[in-house]
Amino acid sequence: MALKNQISKEDFLAVFRDEPINTLLGTNGDNGNGLNFTTIDFPNKTEEEWRHTSINKILQHRFGLGKTVSLDKKTVDLFTIPGLDAYRLVFINGYYNPDLSDEIEKAGKLLVKSSAKVKKEHPEIFNKYYKSTDLGSENFFTTLNTAYATNGSFIYLPDNAVLDKPVHIINFSDGQDSKTISQYRNVFYAGKNSKAQIVNSFHSLTVNYTLTNVATEIIVDENAFLNFNIFQGEGDDAFQMNHTKVFQHRNSNFSSHTITLCGAIVRNDIHIKHLDEGCETNLNGLYLPDREQHFDNHIFVHHAKPHGTSNQIYKGIIDNKASAVFLGKVLVDRDAQKTLAAQSNRNVLLTKYAKVNSKPQLEIYADDVACSHGSTTGQIDKEALFYLQSRGIDRRNAETLLLSAFLSDVIENIQVEPLKILVKLLINKRLKGEKVEGQCSMIEACHGCDPID
Amino acid sequence: MGKTLLKIENLNATIEGKSILKGINLEIKEGEVHAIMGPNGSGKSTLASVLAGREIFEVTDGHVEFMGKDLLSMAPEERSREGVFLAFQYPIEIPGVSITNFMKAAVSQHREHKGLEPLSPSEFLKLMKEKKELVEIEAKLANRAVNEGFSGGEKKKNEVFQMAMLEPKLAILDETDSGLDIDALRIVANGVNKLKNSENATLVITHYQRLLDYIVPDVVHVLYDGKIVKTGGKELALELEEKGYDWIKKEVQV
Repeated sequence: MALKNQISKEDFLAVFRDEPINTLLGTNGDNGNGLNFTTIDFPNKTEEEWRHTSINKILQHRFGLGKTVSLDKKTVDLFTIPGLDAYRLVFINGYYNPDLSDEIEKAGKLLVKSSAKVKKEHPEIFNKYYKSTDLGSENFFTTLNTAYATNGSFIYLPDNAVLDKPVHIINFSDGQDSKTISQYRNVFYAGKNSKAQIVNSFHSLTVNYTLTNVATEIIVDENAFLNFNIFQGEGDDAFQMNHTKVFQHRNSNFSSHTITLCGAIVRNDIHIKHLDEGCETNLNGLYLPDREQHFDNHIFVHHAKPHGTSNQIYKGIIDNKASAVFLGKVLVDRDAQKTLAAQSNRNVLLTKYAKVNSKPQLEIYADDVACSHGSTTGQIDKEALFYLQSRGIDRRNAETLLLSAFLSDVIENIQVEPLKILVKLLINKRLKGEKVEGQCSMIEACHGCDPID
Repeated sequence: MGKTLLKIENLNATIEGKSILKGINLEIKEGEVHAIMGPNGSGKSTLASVLAGREIFEVTDGHVEFMGKDLLSMAPEERSREGVFLAFQYPIEIPGVSITNFMKAAVSQHREHKGLEPLSPSEFLKLMKEKKELVEIEAKLANRAVNEGFSGGEKKKNEVFQMAMLEPKLAILDETDSGLDIDALRIVANGVNKLKNSENATLVITHYQRLLDYIVPDVVHVLYDGKIVKTGGKELALELEEKGYDWIKKEVQV
């Protein structure tokens, strides 16, 4: 039931089928890999998982494979996180830029590289972990990624490896020449007792229609610690589908921070599976949609083994006619005794048009667990506002203070200190409606945030 | 005699259509301490809220002049910067905002209003320290979120601390004594007394005479059913304590 001006699935896929592409999957196309687009359709609102997120706006555009764009170091520096000393991997429109990146390859096979390079240089490692988390054909976009992604980031930490600095993966989209689709397939493996921090940031170089489709597979082995940060600051006409799948082994620790500041439609899926006992997972998110933006966070935590812990805390401020979705599901298997799971989603709506759909869910089959969930949606507390005003603080400043305070625990949870400082700064600017050069997107791609009032 | 700070004429206010204040007249001069007493529901807290600019009350008639300016036309923040301070009966908890950040924002907007340079961080911390000592507030309290998890006494002390930071011309204490034990009451009253001078004024709103042993008023008003029905010296408070509010009710009905 295609809507007017909406392109068909065949048209959407044509760009990938017209020319032979050297994909990470190895074969060109979806044949013979269990990926069959005849049975996988665009997500639509009759599916529970997509009930509150329509992709119709995305399907108004015919996206093509973009070109790699030359980029100078000065521009890239605008998007580095001030004070963050990191190994950088830089991609533009899905293409890897080796000149602007710091690859690592160390004895014992510690690797920080592009996925395509690892596939070529270390096929044994690549094949062991790529597609090892059963991330494949959850939906149309993950299938598309599996079938046609050509590159991405690959991080391999051997046992006991501790990365001395975080890895910062910078993904730029640029639709200057044509409406562009970029696909990234990331694979992170953290070996036993290893430890690393990863930041993946997304930015636009120009204000054009782009679609960024990311699939990230993460395997956290025994007793390893992995901290993963997603920073989304693409422009107002940029769509993003971002799917993360995490497999955790015994006593491992995975934490994530998903910070969504800009984008037209942004959909984030984080799916966690505890494969063994004693895993800990902490998932944090904050989102500030403005104008008619739509940000959707879907979380699925599968406690399959005993003594697991998971915490989710997601907070959002929704302005103008923007909308947000939070759907967090915790599944506790019968074997997963002594599970501790907590979920919290809190939202502030700034206007009467702003919308949020929040649905924390627990599905528990074990009988000895402690699980909690909660969701609140409200406006700025008028009594608190009056209290601040009665001390001489004007309304806008008072609102900024209260909203920053509302987000403060999620911000304070961010483990990469320079990222925390940057997020604080950007949110303050966001609430005051000030433009920022770089950090989110190039100023040309930035409409500027509307001040709250 | 000092200059007139506050002049209330025929003030009428309603909440959700219900009439609460029914023609208040009151004049407060520099250097004076006024007390407003009255039974529960007489309109004491409404008067405090209307003067501070709480939006849920609607002023239906009357006029309030503060230092020659029309107070009712000002936003709550302007009233504060002009020198009106309300110590809340129930101070609001604000999780995530530290007292230091709160006061930094308030002091900077007060200074900007007066055309003064912003304080440097060290000057600001010095001011905080000085005022904390003045009102005997524990130093560590300032690093906590505003009123979050504070005891009743701590909340009231925090109100007086904010008052010390902002140095208002007119301080309105709305039942600041309620819920305080005698030690906390003494500390709070002491703080208020230290801040008193010949150029500012204090309006103490209370149900009990107890507070007035510590903050001695020049004038005592009795508010009943939205009107000031009796005005006298500090001995009026003692008389009320002795005879109870029924005495006033009877007198008004006669």
